Amino acid sequence: MASTAPPSIHHERPPLYRDVTVVKWVVQIVALLLTLGALWFLANQAGDNLKASNVPTDYDFLSVNPGIDLSSGIDTDPDTGGRALWVGMVNTLRMAIAGILVATVIGVLVGLARLSNNWLLRKLGTVFVEALRNVPLLVQILFYGAVFASLDRVSMDVGPINGWFHVSNKGLSMPRVHIADGFYQWMIVIVIGLFAANFLRKRRIAQQDLSGEETYPILTAFGLVVVFGILGWFIHPIFGFVGNIFDGLSSVVSAVPQGVLQLLVAVLAVGASAYWIRGFLNNRRTPAGLAKLTDDDYFRMIFAGIGGLLGAFFFLVLWPGLASWMINSASDLFEVLGNKFGNGRSGRPVDVAMPDIVQLGKFPNYGPSGLNFSIGFAAVFFGVVFYTSAFIAEIVRGGILAVPKGQTEAASALGLRRSTALRRVIIPQAARIMLPPLGNQYLNLTKNTSLAIAVGYSDIVQVGQTVYNQTGKTLPVVSIWMFFYLSCSLSISVIVNFFNVRMRIVER
Amino acid sequence: MQDADQVSADLEFQRGLDEQGPSSDEVPSLPMGQWLRKNLFSNWANGILTLFGVLAALLALRGVLNFVFSENRQWDAVRTNLRALMTLSYPESQYIRVWVALGFIVGLAGLSAGIWANWGGVSVKRMSTWLMGTGAFLAICVILREPSVIIGTDGKVIRTIEGSLQRESFVDAMVDRSSWWIAAVILLAVGAGLWSNFSRPVRRRWRRPRAEVPVTSVVFVGLGLVVLSLWVAPYGHYAYISATKAYVAEAGRTVAFSTKLPWTVMWILLCGFFLAGRSLQRSRYLGLIKGSSNLLWLISPLTLFWVVLRDPALDYGHVISTDLPMGLAFGLLGGALLWGLTRTDIGEAGRITATLLLGFAVFNWVAAFFGWYPMLQKARISFLLLALAALLAPNFIGEVAKRRQLVFGWVGVTALVHYLATMINTPSTVELQSTEFLGGLGLTLFVALIVVLLSFPLGVLLALGRTSKFPIFRMLSTSYIEVIRGVPLISVLIFFSVMVPLFLPDGMELAELAAVLTGYTLFSAAYLAENVRGGLQSITKGQYEAADAIGLTSAQRTGFIVLPQALTVSIPQLVGQVISTFKETSLLAIIGLFDFLRVANSVIPAQSEFMGVKREGILLVAMIYFFFNFTISKYSQRLEQRVGLGER
Repeated sequence: MASTAPPSIHHERPPLYRDVTVVKWVVQIVALLLTLGALWFLANQAGDNLKASNVPTDYDFLSVNPGIDLSSGIDTDPDTGGRALWVGMVNTLRMAIAGILVATVIGVLVGLARLSNNWLLRKLGTVFVEALRNVPLLVQILFYGAVFASLDRVSMDVGPINGWFHVSNKGLSMPRVHIADGFYQWMIVIVIGLFAANFLRKRRIAQQDLSGEETYPILTAFGLVVVFGILGWFIHPIFGFVGNIFDGLSSVVSAVPQGVLQLLVAVLAVGASAYWIRGFLNNRRTPAGLAKLTDDDYFRMIFAGIGGLLGAFFFLVLWPGLASWMINSASDLFEVLGNKFGNGRSGRPVDVAMPDIVQLGKFPNYGPSGLNFSIGFAAVFFGVVFYTSAFIAEIVRGGILAVPKGQTEAASALGLRRSTALRRVIIPQAARIMLPPLGNQYLNLTKNTSLAIAVGYSDIVQVGQTVYNQTGKTLPVVSIWMFFYLSCSLSISVIVNFFNVRMRIVER
Repeated sequence: MQDADQVSADLEFQRGLDEQGPSSDEVPSLPMGQWLRKNLFSNWANGILTLFGVLAALLALRGVLNFVFSENRQWDAVRTNLRALMTLSYPESQYIRVWVALGFIVGLAGLSAGIWANWGGVSVKRMSTWLMGTGAFLAICVILREPSVIIGTDGKVIRTIEGSLQRESFVDAMVDRSSWWIAAVILLAVGAGLWSNFSRPVRRRWRRPRAEVPVTSVVFVGLGLVVLSLWVAPYGHYAYISATKAYVAEAGRTVAFSTKLPWTVMWILLCGFFLAGRSLQRSRYLGLIKGSSNLLWLISPLTLFWVVLRDPALDYGHVISTDLPMGLAFGLLGGALLWGLTRTDIGEAGRITATLLLGFAVFNWVAAFFGWYPMLQKARISFLLLALAALLAPNFIGEVAKRRQLVFGWVGVTALVHYLATMINTPSTVELQSTEFLGGLGLTLFVALIVVLLSFPLGVLLALGRTSKFPIFRMLSTSYIEVIRGVPLISVLIFFSVMVPLFLPDGMELAELAAVLTGYTLFSAAYLAENVRGGLQSITKGQYEAADAIGLTSAQRTGFIVLPQALTVSIPQLVGQVISTFKETSLLAIIGLFDFLRVANSVIPAQSEFMGVKREGILLVAMIYFFFNFTISKYSQRLEQRVGLGER
């Protein structure tokens, strides 16, 4: 192509140090090297210092008994450091999920109240939002913690509704709905029901579009799921064979030799980068042949290639243990699943346990059967829920206000009822605006649960701190924190993005 | 002029309607009955909601009042420890330094308010509504609060035989609170009087100017009344006297002289500087004054913290033999170099010199890390600054005035940096009982200010990096921002407070406060970068093309065209970021710095007189945070409306 350029334009290459492309890449590579060098230097320094202080950086503490007690969680006396951190992670996730659900409900209600045409509700909503979002979360958590700690001592006849709901200086305790024996088989029935319901809903919608009659697609689909649920309550033991399938999978996976998996992953990594480069080049291909590639394009291809090779190198040479770890954990996972879905689980899927108060020693305390909120959990829970719901309320309000007024007017001009207009016109558009900031708030809530450290609720940060105080392994613990929180952020943004893409306006 | 005002007022009103339906400003214009029907009882569902709302609000208010004024509360703990909450263990004998620092800030605030502001007015009608509302609220509070307990002759509460507290009768309680009743009635009466005078229907508003009072007068008179009340109202005198190690608690008198005098001075400073600033609004040197007041805002936190509060003991021999000559050398020689670099015929040599200088400056830091050769830290910083100035020099090539600007700017920056560095390096003369020389609210505000000031340039750089055309820079900034935003602040702070010593070479150390400040700044910069990026993305392509078309270099394009617009657009988000930075300074309490939350949460409850008294202190901390954040966010909303953001 270059030969067709008119020869009258005299192209004189500028000197090397004035050539934009050269300067651009030299500057970038120097910056990259400086950054990498600084990181390498710091890591080196840390290694030396750690060696001098006789604390080697390794992950051995994960399999050693740390000798710590946790204030709450699935296992308050963990055998190993890894188990302790795992309990912390479960506690964090529990708090985050419960918090997200409750905060969303409260936030939406308050946001709608702020838009109501009732003056009093509007003002109350404003007071709620302004009071809660302007006071730091930590101050709120500490305050709730102090208030709970100063409640009355727990006694055998503690109220407000003895036997059902207890409030005392040990926290809250209430009835617990929990997963029982046959839950997983029951879930299989429900999932089948969901598929059937989706099919029914689509059919009904098609019917309605055809005939114009109201066929209540959502209502009937929901009814079908309920029917399946009730049916499944009795027939779920017939799905016991699923457990055998998982057991078989487990033994198949554990039979895979480590080298094969290593090779497989390495080939996959290189193949993925090659595939990407091919796609990239195809993208640049025009009917007249391959378009001229810029320096950035070359950079991308080189980068992808290096990435693939590095991935292969990592799995083959640098950390071969990772492959065996993957095999082991996959086989363990299938084994656990096989157990959960296994035969002989014929009890009720879901059970309810009432809270109780037991007196083992001198003082009475909450027994393990009810759903107990320790003071720490309650303080953090109410803190993050109220704090985040104030922000969610503002997002909901802003999202609904951002829908142009013309949309409402157009809907009423078409003769839609107010509720239909809200459901079909306003909320879908508002949801599209609300979703990204909402995802951000969920992320913030998850990160904010780390403030549990201030009231001694054993979330991952608190447990991690206890562990490194015991073992001195600060760096590994911090790396586990980062890994955990980054994967939380990543999963939340993946979920939010999924809905974002689904809800995007399809443009011409 | 009046027409324009009217138009803008109408526009404002229209906007109010558009934004929030029936605007609350319009409330008074409807008769009472109609207003109630429209806003509270428009249909039966609304009526039920209203009734429930009233009930819930009254119950909540009653709960709050009973909690705050309960006989179990020990507000003495907070009153006695106010000084600890504000500055922790700053010595009493040197307390005048705190007042001087505060006075400086207050004076500067008054001056800026006077110079900048056209603050507008509050209509008297609106004020009368406020007064009546406050009066009614006060009356409701007085009725709602449960009757107080009866205190016997021995000063203890009287209990019934079953052990429950005995309370006085409702009528007695109301009689006891007669002073509150009087206050409520006065407020209501004044409000109603103003209301009836100023709310007569006016047919043509623009004929008669609306009755308005400047906002500033309202604020100053209000603050004045508060200050006056310090002299007359019996708030009581509570203190901890460190000389005798005794707690003083004398109810029934006015506050100590050492409290009311400084606050009176503060009020006088505020008003005086405001008036001075207003009189300067028409002065010829307004631009200069504005610039210097901005500069003072930038440097005063540093100067006040390290110079006034720390009171460094200068070693004059060293100052004359080393510090002064070095500062002079950098200022004068650097100035001369910059003067040379801005000659029109400098050509390629200028850039080469600047690059060499930059290489040398960076090399100095690398050498410092490995300890190859000794050099004063001040010199390293100065070389780096000089290299940056040299890189900027091509933008100032041309007229003598522009070149002079650069050189004078350089001399000023050198003087400031050297002055501060000398002061920071000199040991303090203030006798301290704790490791941190300032704690409490002072520390909180200082950390927030420093973090905001430092993270701003870093955040802008990161945002530019993330939107740049250089893929490696983009990759580095993006991964930095996303990693930092993915982890909670507390883990970053723990990392920096525990781990930083690990990463430093032998013989180098960093105070804990400095380590935490670094970590917090790095964290905050990532969030700030995202806000700035939002602004950068709103700049249309045409702006870039236009800048290229008139031949600006890419540095000039960024500095003079893109960034000013991007930053203006992102003002609301930036203010939000400032607020959340301020809120999150509370996390300092977790990692062991004595900010005022920590004082309230662990220092006060550990005192033998106030064992375990937490809730009162935390409540006060919450109120202080609320006051600051609410004020900032309201002000930023006003600012947004005034510059017309959000209407694009």
